[in-house]
Amino acid sequence: MIAEEHRVDPKKVTELASSLETELGRLIVGQKELLRDTVIALIGGGHILLEGVPGLGKTMLVRSLGQALDLTFSRIQFTPDLMPADIVGTNIIREDSGRREFEYQPGPIFASLVLADEVNRATPKTQSALLEAMQERTVTVGNETRALPVPFFVLATQNPIELEGTYPLPEAQLDRFFFKAIVPFPSETELLEIARRTTGATTPELHAIGDAESIIAAQRVAREVPIAEHVLRYAGRLIIATHPNRTELDSVRKYVRYGASPRGLQTLVLAGKVRALLEGRYNVAFEDLAAVARPALRHRVFLQFEAEADGVTTDQIIDEVLERTTKESASP
Amino acid sequence: MSSLEAVVAALRRSDARSSVPRFFVHAAVGAGIWVGAVLLITRLVPFERRLQLAFLGVPVMLAVAATAWLASRPGPGVLMSVADQSLGLKERLSTAWERRASSGLMDDLQRLDALQHAKLARLARAFPVRINRREVGVLAIIAVAALLLAVLPNPMDQLLAQRRADAASQAAAANALHAVQDKIAANATTVPPDPKVQKILGATEKQIRQAPDPRSALQAISPAEQQLLQLSDPQTPARTSTAQNLAGSLSSTKAGKAAGQALTASPAKGAQALRQLASQLQTLSPQERAQLAQALATAAQHAQDPAMAASLSRASSALAAGDYAAAAAALSDMASQLDSLQAQQNTDAQVAAAINSLEAARQGLAAQADRDAAAASGSAAGAGGNANAGGSPGASPGNGSNSGNGNGSGNGASGSGGSSGHGNSGSGSGSGTGSKPSEKLFVPGRPVPGQFENDPTPLGPGQDVPLTPYTQVVQAYGKAALDATDQSLIPGSERDLVREYFSTLGAS
Repeated sequence: MIAEEHRVDPKKVTELASSLETELGRLIVGQKELLRDTVIALIGGGHILLEGVPGLGKTMLVRSLGQALDLTFSRIQFTPDLMPADIVGTNIIREDSGRREFEYQPGPIFASLVLADEVNRATPKTQSALLEAMQERTVTVGNETRALPVPFFVLATQNPIELEGTYPLPEAQLDRFFFKAIVPFPSETELLEIARRTTGATTPELHAIGDAESIIAAQRVAREVPIAEHVLRYAGRLIIATHPNRTELDSVRKYVRYGASPRGLQTLVLAGKVRALLEGRYNVAFEDLAAVARPALRHRVFLQFEAEADGVTTDQIIDEVLERTTKESASP
Repeated sequence: MSSLEAVVAALRRSDARSSVPRFFVHAAVGAGIWVGAVLLITRLVPFERRLQLAFLGVPVMLAVAATAWLASRPGPGVLMSVADQSLGLKERLSTAWERRASSGLMDDLQRLDALQHAKLARLARAFPVRINRREVGVLAIIAVAALLLAVLPNPMDQLLAQRRADAASQAAAANALHAVQDKIAANATTVPPDPKVQKILGATEKQIRQAPDPRSALQAISPAEQQLLQLSDPQTPARTSTAQNLAGSLSSTKAGKAAGQALTASPAKGAQALRQLASQLQTLSPQERAQLAQALATAAQHAQDPAMAASLSRASSALAAGDYAAAAAALSDMASQLDSLQAQQNTDAQVAAAINSLEAARQGLAAQADRDAAAASGSAAGAGGNANAGGSPGASPGNGSNSGNGNGSGNGASGSGGSSGHGNSGSGSGSGTGSKPSEKLFVPGRPVPGQFENDPTPLGPGQDVPLTPYTQVVQAYGKAALDATDQSLIPGSERDLVREYFSTLGAS
């Protein structure tokens, strides 16, 4: 147990995260950064949007996470005809002893780990049902509001190349994701290793190294990690620097339509705290913020059409913001 | 490290080791600029204590740098932040310092973690000694420039030396006058000092001391001499001669022998002896009275002073007529005139001493003023020569750079027979037009030293005589003129006029 009464040992959070990464690494080849981002989002208490072409192990990652954490897991395949009730559940008529009554049938959202596969294929109405549940952590069906399990962690995926017949997530709803992680295509070595591991007679079995309680305790501990005032100011400057009307960066002025929201700052700080713990540190450093800036901000910075025309990506903008802001903050 | 305070102390030491050399270089650059600026400015503006002023910059800049260093010392929070960055401590120290008053498991762990990492880190290296190479380069350049400015001859040195010499000559002149005043005052028991002489000397001494230069000081001497001369009585030589005649006449008589000898010694003693003789007239024998009357008559006949002659005549007549009272009164009157003569002689002696001292002062001041004028004309001629050399090399050989050292040909003093102004009583007047700054003036002369005999000497317009630029000979002319005035009986004020005239020529 990492939590004993009110005394929480931060070292055990570090051990839990490290063990989790190691355990997932047994099945997931490469993707270290993705694993790290997933663990950070989990301990940070947020949800993660995974973007990558099919077949890169997104579903495998979520399933493995469910096994490694001994959490309830459900998968929702988003399609255009998926209805909100298919996610949050619905009241069905049940006949018992000659009496008919409505009985609530929970949807797949009632799980600690939810994989929302190809979330951009569902209609906005269905997407909203999911995203509202993600935000409120409750589900209202009929007149009754029901709390979702704790911890509640949604991993949504979307395919960036098949855009026909999709419904891109609106900016406001993207903001509800803690992280947006890019699932990169594996290297040649990693591809071979994937082939070796998945085409043999047996596949590795994952062991549960944590449970809901440990995750909840870890989330509580992460919020206690101190952050110095000048580091917090650095985070604030990073956010402000993404706004075209409040920055001196030409690229931001030219290519950015909207900068990151205050929720982006919250994410940045919280993710920085988790990363510090994962690094075995008890304070947030500049490098923590820099390390989580891309997944925390890439879905919160919206580019102009000129950026797409010039081939400028959000990550490039964030890298420039980081470089500039770090330079300015170098001298105390 | 046992505590965050110990970490701060260690970082403060490291910061001091790092920043002190940097501030020292700042101070050195500042001091170098100060020294260089002072040395540069004192090449344009004469300043007596330039080295003291220059090196005053060193302690001043050190003090400024020390003050700036003290004022710019970073606080503990900044020290911790910088140490975090330079030692790669990932904001451990700054966070721990900021939350040093917070309590809780996480804060305790964080502090412990920070202290452990601080213990492993070499805090002394948190603030490495970094000296700006560009600044060091600037310092080296400034140092070399300052050294050159200090080593190379300063054109103001000559001016300063001249000023010092001026001040010394004025002080010497004033001291000479003061010494005469003291000497006159010291003889007060024997000869009472004349307050007018003392006053004139005192005023002149003051004027000399306050004069800006020897030439101005010289202007105070002639009026003083005039004032002193006014104190002299022109009849004194005649009265002195009359007294001497009387002494000779009386010495030849039995009754007046003692009085004659006393009168030879001094007019005052003679006056006293005459009064005594007057009181003894009745006791003299008729023969003695006759001799005495005869001697007085003789003295009256040879007397050059009318008043004395009248008294002596009256005394002789009364004595011959047997009117002893009238004779005694006439002798007493003569004695009074001798007393007056004595007083006048005393004054004349003091006036003479004062004039001598004024003359000595004039000599010293005039010599210094001549040196000043020579230096001024030398530099002016040098500048002119350079200008000629650059402007018209064909017309002027441009050898004026050496003309200021008195190497003029000097043929003006000896004269060629063709010049005017012979005769002691001759007076001259001249008229002419002043030369324009760009106009060249020539005087007849020989090739200047350094000029080859075969070189064509520049000729004046429309003349067949070789001409020399006047700047090369004006000094020699002036010296010759002053030598001439020194050898003749020319009053000091007239000599001043001559000196001033040539100085004006030299300066122009």
